[in-house]
Amino acid sequence: MEKKETMIHLEGISKSFPQKRGSLEVLKDIDLKIEKGEVFGIIGLSGAGKSTLVRCINLLERPTKGRVYLDGAELTCLPEKELRQQRHSMGMIFQQFQLLMQRTALENVCFPLEIAGVPKEKARARAEELLDLVGLGERLGAYPSQLSGGQKQRVAIARALATEPKVLLCDEATSALDPNTTAGVLRLLKDINERLGITIVVITHEMSVIQEICNRVAIIDDGQIAEMGGVEEIFRAPKTKAGRELVYHEGTKREAIEGPMENCYRVVFRGGISGEPILGGMMLECNAVANILSGNTRMLDGRVYGQMMIQLPADKETRERMLAYLREREVEVEEVQYV
Amino acid sequence: MFKEGMMALVGIAFWESIYMTLISTFFAYLIGLPLGLILVMTDGEGVRPIPIVHQTLGIIINIVRSVPFLILIVTIMPFTKLAVGTTIGPKAAIVGLLVAAAPFIARLVESSLKEVEKGVIEAAQSMGASPLQILVKVLIPEAKPSLLVGSAIAVTTILGYSAMAGFVGGGGLGAIAINYGVHRGQRDIMYVIVVLLVVIVQILQEFGMQIAKRTDKRL
Repeated sequence: MEKKETMIHLEGISKSFPQKRGSLEVLKDIDLKIEKGEVFGIIGLSGAGKSTLVRCINLLERPTKGRVYLDGAELTCLPEKELRQQRHSMGMIFQQFQLLMQRTALENVCFPLEIAGVPKEKARARAEELLDLVGLGERLGAYPSQLSGGQKQRVAIARALATEPKVLLCDEATSALDPNTTAGVLRLLKDINERLGITIVVITHEMSVIQEICNRVAIIDDGQIAEMGGVEEIFRAPKTKAGRELVYHEGTKREAIEGPMENCYRVVFRGGISGEPILGGMMLECNAVANILSGNTRMLDGRVYGQMMIQLPADKETRERMLAYLREREVEVEEVQYV
Repeated sequence: MFKEGMMALVGIAFWESIYMTLISTFFAYLIGLPLGLILVMTDGEGVRPIPIVHQTLGIIINIVRSVPFLILIVTIMPFTKLAVGTTIGPKAAIVGLLVAAAPFIARLVESSLKEVEKGVIEAAQSMGASPLQILVKVLIPEAKPSLLVGSAIAVTTILGYSAMAGFVGGGGLGAIAINYGVHRGQRDIMYVIVVLLVVIVQILQEFGMQIAKRTDKRL
């Protein structure tokens, strides 16, 4: 097995903000290693500290405690000037794009190159190439106000890639975009990761974003990493409460169903079997109906995954038969406490 | 209505006023613009926080701005004499105007630059921009339309001040309006001057707004 190299290493990161009385601890002793070339997701509900965490990677926020390493070099000990130098190897994109409104798309992409002292002609050529890469080769002269949200984020991505960074940090990069545009931007990020080998860190509150492009994910809750692992593994069997909330409910609380419901199960379909009418077959076979509470299907690393929340009949014998039917077909079933 | 020679007098005064206004606006910006930039940069939440500089500068600006213009122009007369060798006429008025206008302009510049979104500055920082690069490549260009609107406000305000400078022998349209209109009771002359001032302010304001609009790429 090839040995994975670490690109970003966070060691014992804590961050607290001074308040009127005492201080607010946003991050609590976080240890994290992100490997070279992977797409790593950090997910959490709003207020969990994920935005602060990503800002600790390029030190837009200075952690109160702990060290940050990029590709083996410690950043936390660097003086401002050298840190600025290091930031050329970390691109960042934002929810609100943060483009310069008085500059054209091309000039926006030239901006980080100007900062880095790249000669004008060379910067221009590189910017044109990058805008071409993100599919905006025709809109070089457009101002941000003339572009759609998705196009603005593409310009921002081109801008973040201009200095050939090792790492791309994405802070809720698709949260301001509609689903179609989101899918396009995520595809672009995945493509960039595969073609250029850039390590990508994705911050989001949407599980679907993680499932779309990430290899590994850390779930952050109340300033701590609640659980971490492969996306598939966490999606199939989240171990913590925060994990379950994000996987089952996409982070939104279901107000409509109140209180605990009995005999609820989460069914996970994998790969090819999503094509078969398993639930229908089960109901016909057992001559009883299941109450479908929610469900969705999505692609995960090119394979179809579906999950469904169902409520089975109160009668124990029928229920057992139904569960047996499902298990026979290699569908994962687990009883869940709430829906 | 006018006695012979009156038109010529008003004509000279008109150009004196324009001269005083533009020259003092120019010099007031030479001082006020850097002060405004320093205010923004050194702010506690600014790009290069130096609270002591920010606060000291803020207090000085507030003090100068709180002195009424007529009193200010009289107070600084010794300085004016030292600077331009006289305390009367347009030249002397320019010194007073520029001392009064510079802190005002500093505040205008400060508020324009503060309109630039924090996130854009953060983005520039994430790319490794230095405070100076952020100032020159982000803050000023992004705030340009707002700075131009500010300069239209500044130049019209300074024109208003220059008319007041007429009270203390500053020359220009204000001096004519006071000498003939107030002291000699020739109201018609006063009204003509007031109308003239109104027209100049309208033109300058509109001109400034148009330039600001043309250069703004957000629309």
